[in-house]
Amino acid sequence: MTTTLNESVPTDTPSARTRKRGTKVRRQRVRAAWTYLAPMLVALALVAGWPLLRTFYLSLTDASLSDTTGAAFIGFENYLVKDDGVWYGLLADPVWWNSVWNTVYFSVISVSLEVVFGIIVALLLNAEFKGRMLVRAAVLIPWAIPTIVSAKMWAWMLNDQFGIINHMLMGLGLIDAPLAWTADADLSMWAVIMVDVWKTIPFVALLVLAALQMLPKDCYEAAEVDGIHPVKVFFRVTLPLITPALLVAVIFRLLDALRVFDVIYVLTSNSSSTMTMSIYARQQLVEFQDVGYGSAASTMLFLIIALAVVVYLYLGRRQLGVDK
Amino acid sequence: MMTSSTNSVAAASMAVNASRARRSVLNRKLVLTLVAWTIALMMFFPIFWMFLTSFKTEAEAISTPPSLFFTPSIDGYIEIQARADYFKYALNSVVISLGATLLALLIAIPSAYSMAFLPTKRTQTTLLWMLSTKMLPSVGVLLPVYLIFRDLGLLDSRTGLIIIYMLMNLPIVVWMLYTFFKDIPKDILEAGRMDGASTLQEIFHLLLPLTLPGIASTGLLCVILSWNEAFWSLNLTTSNAAPLTAYIASFSSPEGLFWAKLSAASTLAVAPILIFGWMTQKQMVRGLTFGAVK
Repeated sequence: MTTTLNESVPTDTPSARTRKRGTKVRRQRVRAAWTYLAPMLVALALVAGWPLLRTFYLSLTDASLSDTTGAAFIGFENYLVKDDGVWYGLLADPVWWNSVWNTVYFSVISVSLEVVFGIIVALLLNAEFKGRMLVRAAVLIPWAIPTIVSAKMWAWMLNDQFGIINHMLMGLGLIDAPLAWTADADLSMWAVIMVDVWKTIPFVALLVLAALQMLPKDCYEAAEVDGIHPVKVFFRVTLPLITPALLVAVIFRLLDALRVFDVIYVLTSNSSSTMTMSIYARQQLVEFQDVGYGSAASTMLFLIIALAVVVYLYLGRRQLGVDK
Repeated sequence: MMTSSTNSVAAASMAVNASRARRSVLNRKLVLTLVAWTIALMMFFPIFWMFLTSFKTEAEAISTPPSLFFTPSIDGYIEIQARADYFKYALNSVVISLGATLLALLIAIPSAYSMAFLPTKRTQTTLLWMLSTKMLPSVGVLLPVYLIFRDLGLLDSRTGLIIIYMLMNLPIVVWMLYTFFKDIPKDILEAGRMDGASTLQEIFHLLLPLTLPGIASTGLLCVILSWNEAFWSLNLTTSNAAPLTAYIASFSSPEGLFWAKLSAASTLAVAPILIFGWMTQKQMVRGLTFGAVK
């Protein structure tokens, strides 16, 4: 609030003078503001606006990768078209619907798990114990290393014949025979979720930790003195207070999860049981070189993400509105 | 007010249960420490296992049961350099992530300055719009970007990747710098202006020195994000400009026999980030949370 600079500052000499020449100065300031913003705005328009429009345009053509200029405009035929009484196009493609379902399933489960574990880790890191800094550093590591590397490492650890995970689980007597984590249709989605959760706990934990460290201490002392059970304190005091930070963490994670690519690309590549919308669109674009159809898949992915954001912001604002 | 009314009750009840409470606090602390260390070990284990595997021979790597104790060998490291010129990829990674970070800061600093100190009615909208580009799925713009790059001859070039990484990180860099700049009292810059400093002098002599830690942590985050990026490097490079992520991805699954080499390559790819990150951990945590929490 100290930095929301307004013109209605108490009248000391300079600001009074400023107000007299108000319009001219303000016009200059606005011009300066836009001048400094211009490079960033142009850069973002180049990366976000124009390619997106082009992708949408390509989705209305029958372009292929070898020939993108001579493509014919075919309207929405890549999305949905009826031919001889049979529906064709993306929206009639069961493989695409499967990828939508996989994406939603992956996003909901992995983000939920990340939030739960992220809070647990943050609560631990917020407490006093020996070697806290070391533990914090160790917990941070999965976030800092490239997904490609961690996915490869997990692929190695989850290897059905030589992987350490199967070996440990068998040693503990939890399973009788080695599991084919990344090949088995029922297991591979869980393997992918596990790796993603492992990688992203640090991010959520950090955001929550930052919120925890800003909480007023006296509430907790009071609660402890009154002998209120810590679990109750958590749900009644801590959780409502860290909700804004959680909402930020969830939206970031949700956006990443909905367009997940590299962890799945490395662990299971194009396997249908883990195929997400990003993987599907890339396969159409790059491997099948079907630019029109792949662009339609990309456009749909963008629309679905935008829809998720709008719904989330709407719900989130209502949630926050209650607090205020 | 809650504390003052409960303080006296506190004193009474605490005196009664003093020893019991102390013991239970001690127990709780022990459990807490154990749980925290267990979680830390679990989080760290894959990295440790990778490190261990990188010093095995290929035969040892796939021995059953997996061995914890073995004679370390650096054959894996020697071979990845001999087989694929590892340092070329490493150099690409360094050049690309540093280049992208510097370029992003160069464009982001004036923008963040403008948003923080010359706010207009549309500043909030601009900020939101800028962040909304973060939700763009990369695959959604892959083809147009690919085509532009092909026409401009930027495919498989470091310049191309520098540009794309810069654009990818720009929103978060501007946002973080904005939050750091916002905390600087406006009066300081105004005093400078009274003394006749131009805007550029204002930025270079007043703003940048004051927010150097913030700029450093923003840059650090940008370096790490660029270093780790894989989607664009996989799709826009083949060999000349390919960074480490693309190189590591090229160990495809049928090559399951090369786990020791893969581990060696991965360890080398991760090491700079871990060392760098370890030294600047505090800055990084600060930067990341400042950027995201308010």
